[in-house]
Amino acid sequence: MTAVSTPANSPMHARRRLRLPRSILAFPAWFWFLAFFAAPLGLVVYNSFGSKVPQSVGNVSMASPSLGRYREALTGTFFTVFETTLKIAVIGTVLCLVIGFPVAYWLATRASARLKGVMLGLVIIPFWTNFLIRTLSWTIVLSPEGYLSHQLQSWGILGGPIHLLATKTAVQIGVVYNYLPLMIFPLFVALDRLDPSLREASKDLGATPGRTFLQVTGPLAMPGIIAGLLLVYIPLAGDYLTAKILGKAQGNMAGAFIASQVIDAQNLPAGAAMAVILILLILGTILAVGGIGLAIAKMSQIRRSVYVDTGDSI
Amino acid sequence: MSDNNEVRILTTPQGAMNLRNEMSRRGFLMVSAGAGMAAFLAACGSSSKSAATTTGGSTTSGAGVSSTSAASTAAPVAGAKTFNLYTWAEYDDPALMESFGNITIDIFNSNEEAVAKLAGAKGTSGYDMVVPTGGYIPQMADAGLLETLDLSRIPNFKNLDVAYTNQAWDQGNKYSVCKNFGTTGWIYDTQIVTTEIKTWNDFITACQTVAKGNCSVLDTAPNLCGVYFWANGINWTTEKADELDACEKFIVEKLAPNLKAFDSYPGINLTKGDYALSQVWNGDARQGLLKLVEAGKDPKRYKWGMGAPKTEIFMDNWCIVKGAKNLDASYNFMNFILDPVNSAKDVAFHGYNTGLVGIEKLVPDTVTLQDMIWITADQQKQLETGAVNSAQDRLVAIYNKAKAAAGK
Repeated sequence: MTAVSTPANSPMHARRRLRLPRSILAFPAWFWFLAFFAAPLGLVVYNSFGSKVPQSVGNVSMASPSLGRYREALTGTFFTVFETTLKIAVIGTVLCLVIGFPVAYWLATRASARLKGVMLGLVIIPFWTNFLIRTLSWTIVLSPEGYLSHQLQSWGILGGPIHLLATKTAVQIGVVYNYLPLMIFPLFVALDRLDPSLREASKDLGATPGRTFLQVTGPLAMPGIIAGLLLVYIPLAGDYLTAKILGKAQGNMAGAFIASQVIDAQNLPAGAAMAVILILLILGTILAVGGIGLAIAKMSQIRRSVYVDTGDSI
Repeated sequence: MSDNNEVRILTTPQGAMNLRNEMSRRGFLMVSAGAGMAAFLAACGSSSKSAATTTGGSTTSGAGVSSTSAASTAAPVAGAKTFNLYTWAEYDDPALMESFGNITIDIFNSNEEAVAKLAGAKGTSGYDMVVPTGGYIPQMADAGLLETLDLSRIPNFKNLDVAYTNQAWDQGNKYSVCKNFGTTGWIYDTQIVTTEIKTWNDFITACQTVAKGNCSVLDTAPNLCGVYFWANGINWTTEKADELDACEKFIVEKLAPNLKAFDSYPGINLTKGDYALSQVWNGDARQGLLKLVEAGKDPKRYKWGMGAPKTEIFMDNWCIVKGAKNLDASYNFMNFILDPVNSAKDVAFHGYNTGLVGIEKLVPDTVTLQDMIWITADQQKQLETGAVNSAQDRLVAIYNKAKAAAGK
């Protein structure tokens, strides 16, 4: 295994010249991306300019491409639905962060190596079950005739059966449950990589635990926080199963509304236009939040530098 | 893990602690790995063993086709027995289906959904048979979604009462054979809705008051709008713009904000106590009451009523999907299900009249709640057949607006 020093003009060398460019390694990924993401997305955008042939089984007419479907989507009920969606998505994402951060922090900094493995395993275990099944099981838990309802009543905590199913609260519980692991993992990875000596140094330099958290741990964990927020917010805003199953009539999120346009109304162009608007709105909120975050970061940097300056001048 | 298997070791207290933790952790990992593997295998098993699957995120659990209990004594069927069926939930007796052969069932909530899926697949859906309601058949046939039938391959077709063949929407049964017909009404929890519901107006009033936020309507556009039309003496096949406008205003503003769910199968979910009041198809309501009895609960708490002064009559039909791969099995199955003995078994399960000559006499008296299956001559006068016409897109638009208003 040590005889690797081949002479310069050996056949081995000649063969090496025939090597394909290294970018070939990325081909499967590019192919996948183009065939199963870019092309379908292009079709959605294309169809959004068409119109449904009346009385047909969902045939799309491209005779006179127009922005008509966008106008309909923007003036119609879609916006009310989108408002609800945005509210559930924002609250859900914030709840995931609030619940997920302490868990990830504890796992990364306090838990013993042994416990860490077990706890991460516990976070993964729900993923072994199908998303639909996990969500459906919540209907049993939250059902007015379910065991939780009966148990709480028999303990006298509740006067009557719980009426959580088919409410927005149920949807909120469901989405937080379903997307929490997607928040915990990136946070854990970011916090776990943090060198503990940085926190110790901060303490040695006289920082309180709160200040260490705000000025050392927090900023260094920022990539994890951002990854977690995006991983949770984007699929959550487009979620439709959780809302449909746990929210029933109360859970009409944008995803369900778009599906209904395509499936019930057999109106692919209308659904496509709404999907495009949804994508743009989600991107818009991310950019807006990102912009605000950057501005705040800039401002706090300025303030901190001013503070340091005054310290120097004394 | 009893005391008999006790292991004794000599070590320091700390060492003992570590060992115990280590062992319990290993045990935990093994148990969870085992559980995961079992779940995985179960998932594979069920998909290959063709248990009913759900579509469109519906909350129905689907018919347990693979249930092996109470196997039917029907004669074995010769020839091909494997095909894929796209139908409504809890619409076929699992034991009877099993006695026929290997049928994979997939479920839809509304005709619109079924049509959209078949049209979208353009002959590649993989389904061999579909069960649409009569009014949708011309549209589906025009779009080339259905195979023309060769009735000579279904000798038992002759068993159907002529009243249920050769319908306006499919003259000469070119595309369809009657599966069964049924009607729409309501079912309510008498502990919450204490006054009797006699008409659709009572239904609406209860939904706006005692059952506010606790009532469901069927998850289909025509049935939802039907609540308004039937209550107000308007034929639900209306195409008049002013009547449709009035319907929209009422459904979106007055009814939708009180709804808990759009649910096509509230009956089979009755044991969960999800709703105080539901719009429901008669067979589904009957199955729900039977399930309550099975669960040891009191079925008298719930009361079924047929829609009044007017309500729908629907006829659902066996059709072969264009591009079906299992034509032989599909014909075999239609012939099998039109056999009077098999049909009677199916009626006892799903609770809808299959329209065979003398079917009422073939269903034994031991079958309970038969008054919910058979429609009396008096009740016939209340029934109106639906239609798919120029108002269809408008009805779906109303239904979508109602959904948005309900979830506001």
